[in-house]
Amino acid sequence: MSGDTNGGALVAYTEEANKAVVYPLRHGVKPPIYRLAISWSRGNTLRVSVMRKPSTSGDSGDEFEGKVVEVKLGNGDGDGEISDVQWRRIAYGSVSPFALLQSRRNSVSSLSKMSFNSSPYHVEWWEYVLEYSKDINSLLGNRQSPRSPLIEDPKAILKKIEKPTCLKAAWELMELFYADKLSQAWLPELLVDWLADYDNLLSGTQVTVHLKLLDFQKDLVSLQVIEDHPKFWEVVSSALAVGWLEIVVKLLRLHGSYQFDQLGNRETENGLVETVAVLISKMPRMRPELEAGKLGECFKAKPDFVKAWEKWRTQITKLECSPFWVQCAHHQTREGLRNMLQIMLGNTNSLCTATCHWIELYISHFLYVRPFTVGLESMYGLAQKCIQLKPMASSHRLMGLLIGILSENIEVVLAECSKGFGPWMVTHAIELLTAGNDQADTLLHEERHNLGGISMEKLHRLVYAQVLSSHALTWQIAPIYLTSCMQLGMGLLEILLYKQPVYNNQLLLKNIEICRLYELDSVSSNIMKIAGMYHWKHGKKGFGIFWLHQARDEVRLNRIAQKMFDSVGKSISDESFRQWEGLIQLLGSESKAVGGLEFLHKYRDFKKSLLQIHDGRTTEASLQAVESLISLMKNPSTPPRFWLPLLYDSLKLLNWQERPLLNSSETSLLLNKLQELSMAKLRPDFVEADLPPQALSSVRLALATNLGRSILEEQ
Amino acid sequence: MAITAVQNPTQIHRLPQSKYIDAVRWLPPLSPLSKLAVLAVFDCDADTPFLETHSLSIPSSSQTLTLTPHSRWTPPSRITSLAATAGSLHVVASTLSGSLHVLSSGHDSMVDDNCGSGSMMEPVLSVDEVGFHVGPICGVDVIESVCVSVGEDGRVNLVSFGDEGFRRVFDGNGLVGFNAVKWASPSEFVTGGYGFGLQWWDLRRPGGPVSQLKGYWSQGKTVGMIHSIDIHPSRKHTCLAGGSSGTIFAWDLRWQQQPIVLSGFGVGDAATPSFPESEVWEVQYDCYTKPSNISSSRVLPAMFGSEDGILAVVEQGEEPTELLAEPCAINSFDIDLQNPSVSTEQKPYQTQFLVQEFYIYVFVGFACCHTGCHM
Repeated sequence: MSGDTNGGALVAYTEEANKAVVYPLRHGVKPPIYRLAISWSRGNTLRVSVMRKPSTSGDSGDEFEGKVVEVKLGNGDGDGEISDVQWRRIAYGSVSPFALLQSRRNSVSSLSKMSFNSSPYHVEWWEYVLEYSKDINSLLGNRQSPRSPLIEDPKAILKKIEKPTCLKAAWELMELFYADKLSQAWLPELLVDWLADYDNLLSGTQVTVHLKLLDFQKDLVSLQVIEDHPKFWEVVSSALAVGWLEIVVKLLRLHGSYQFDQLGNRETENGLVETVAVLISKMPRMRPELEAGKLGECFKAKPDFVKAWEKWRTQITKLECSPFWVQCAHHQTREGLRNMLQIMLGNTNSLCTATCHWIELYISHFLYVRPFTVGLESMYGLAQKCIQLKPMASSHRLMGLLIGILSENIEVVLAECSKGFGPWMVTHAIELLTAGNDQADTLLHEERHNLGGISMEKLHRLVYAQVLSSHALTWQIAPIYLTSCMQLGMGLLEILLYKQPVYNNQLLLKNIEICRLYELDSVSSNIMKIAGMYHWKHGKKGFGIFWLHQARDEVRLNRIAQKMFDSVGKSISDESFRQWEGLIQLLGSESKAVGGLEFLHKYRDFKKSLLQIHDGRTTEASLQAVESLISLMKNPSTPPRFWLPLLYDSLKLLNWQERPLLNSSETSLLLNKLQELSMAKLRPDFVEADLPPQALSSVRLALATNLGRSILEEQ
Repeated sequence: MAITAVQNPTQIHRLPQSKYIDAVRWLPPLSPLSKLAVLAVFDCDADTPFLETHSLSIPSSSQTLTLTPHSRWTPPSRITSLAATAGSLHVVASTLSGSLHVLSSGHDSMVDDNCGSGSMMEPVLSVDEVGFHVGPICGVDVIESVCVSVGEDGRVNLVSFGDEGFRRVFDGNGLVGFNAVKWASPSEFVTGGYGFGLQWWDLRRPGGPVSQLKGYWSQGKTVGMIHSIDIHPSRKHTCLAGGSSGTIFAWDLRWQQQPIVLSGFGVGDAATPSFPESEVWEVQYDCYTKPSNISSSRVLPAMFGSEDGILAVVEQGEEPTELLAEPCAINSFDIDLQNPSVSTEQKPYQTQFLVQEFYIYVFVGFACCHTGCHM
């Protein structure tokens, strides 16, 4: 980039960055301080941990052994013209125009690829850019005055408007030069309008015509004979020089010679004032149209304009040589009016005295000296000349930006944007810079090795995204900028998403929603796993299983199932059955995904039907219970240590009074399981079920009896 | 504060805020020409939550709408759910740390007692004892000075304004968890949690839910949570619920196992994505939209706000009418039932209050414009 002074820094930084800023820390820890740890916390805050050497005496009492304090680093907030709340509004509002433009770019470039067009962009690409620019511009504030009063104050020369922001002024400047291709022919006139809107912004650092007018406005109320006031003619000619014609005419008509009692003896003088006023209001302007209330005659085509311009100048010259000047007795009026004629004729000295800083002088040149200036090169030449004539007393960020634009140096423009207006501006203005400008296009879109293989455009987006990520209220919009850079942005996005807390369900769901929007399925399932484990560990088993289930994490679900079996054996008594009901319902019928938890589901059915059996009569419920028992025992997901408790629970089924409920093959299956169990008991990891000591023998006896009865029955 | 007004019968006033807004509820008005609302906000810079009341002047010429801070109270942790009583000026707030607070906005009788505006939000009852809830309380609702609270821990508790302590209705031991709760009558309420399940509880029949809508009725790939429940006072047998993946459904106790889906799963064919697609954070019956078909079997029109920034009205069997599509989520909204307040034009106002993450929107419209669509 441009700045050699910054040692080739990619993102421009100000000199102030080198100044040390002291933040006092109030930690209240008594010296000697033993250790100090510093780390980043949220946003612009630093977390400082201060620790004492642990005291051995043990009489530390109420004193702190250490403390963690957070220090919020002030970032100066630019010039403070835009509050945090307003910035956030701009940041959120610019998301959708930006996204729309990106999607249009994608569709346009895919179209041009299909048609093998050499140009990467559609011919009308700049129209999209202009629409985008207007959308963004409308976010930056409204130029319209709130409401004009019903009775206009005759002496109010300046309209009361909300103070515009430098950001908006800068954006409009960029729009004029880069996006608004239709109006290129009228660029000088557009700059005249621009200065009329934003000259007051420059008043902070230097004298401006606007400031002069503002001062004069205060005096105006008390003035009786306006034309005798020394400031009057100075102010009028200044306003004329920068082309604020309606103000000039309004001021001229306040001239004392218009008053009825004076009209008689100041006829010639009044005639001269009125002629000048009429000449001013008839000034030819090379522009398609003028806002209502603005003065001048518009010409779209150059030849017409030249004709009118020549004619107008001839009229002025004629008036200058007219004999009436001698008859004008009022000295100030005569000199003032003649000076105005000199301005209109483009006398450089007069223009120079009438204007306050180089941009004003520059504008006056467009109006009265070189209205046909076209092309940035000649405009830059003129600007150089004006700066020589009126050297800058102090620099303003808008001036820096204008010079950068005129000098056709994209790097300077970027640097000025970044320095003066921050990462938001750079990120969004790049779209304007590259619209139809091949040089900028290659410069900004070329992938650079020293930037890790990304282009400058993407680098700036990432920088802006990092700014957004650092604040809790803006991180949600960072993904749109991060995802536009596949190489590095996706990694940063993953880090950003993993950093968000999981303990708040609402925030967690918002997080997952972002994953869904950007199709980051793996990230989202990882987040769900983290959340699942968090809830599980905090005793919210239901939520834990829900999240792990959502993440389809079979490994963890199986392990959870193992753990749950322990509590199942103890706690599925008849009392606590209802609590389990909800959880089991949660597991649903989708048994595949829940792995070992399938057991719980079946166990629930078994228990349920077992509970419904009241007397010894064979009912639907008892047959159901047998079916559940068999399927539980057959199922490989049932852990062996549950075999015995299951059988023990179903003793009353095995010892059924009416008739044997299990047939011989079913009973043999259960006996086999019992055999297997005795083998399994030898293994070291076997957990003994909490059952009465005679359980095994009573189950064995019941099974044997049942086998006998069923064989008899089947014969 | 920037205020943008849209030139149509329903005016939208957008008031940017510096803090994150979690929830909003209308309170009974201070005076005929101003309204009062309570906001649960979170200051992300300072990491502090607040409960704030703001009074809202109703613009006479729909030009300027101002929101004036009225009182403020600092809860022990971030507020998760907010409920307000219709008559008695009480606000109930539950927190992330598992405490429940009843506050009196007490502005009626004791105005100008000692310090000008005088009316402060006074906590009249705080329940944060051990054993109340473990972890966050997710939902809270109040009816006739009795609050019901539900949490991720699966506990359902009752707190009465007059009494100390609480009454346990159910303890799920963390095996189940609830996200939302709504009273149907002084003895009945409905809870919702994950898996799109709803439970109907009757305090006269303790021990567990009286009736249940099983979760997982939607056979879709994703399942999610219920975030909000509403019950219309005139149709207590139907409850309305909104949750993940843009799902809004009604559960009619008379046809228990088949929910009526208004949006989300099962509407249209599966190939077309539903509208909206993301979490529905709040759903409420919209008493200002006239139903196109007044039949007791049809679900009344409902308004919802979603994570993708959509505010819309949905009716059974019809496409939702979008009122607002914004770049950030709509966390909460509330429809003012204290109508009609009367404006200078002698027309009843419809006012809705909704909050995005850090915007407050106030809709001011005339009821007569609501026969067709809102805007």
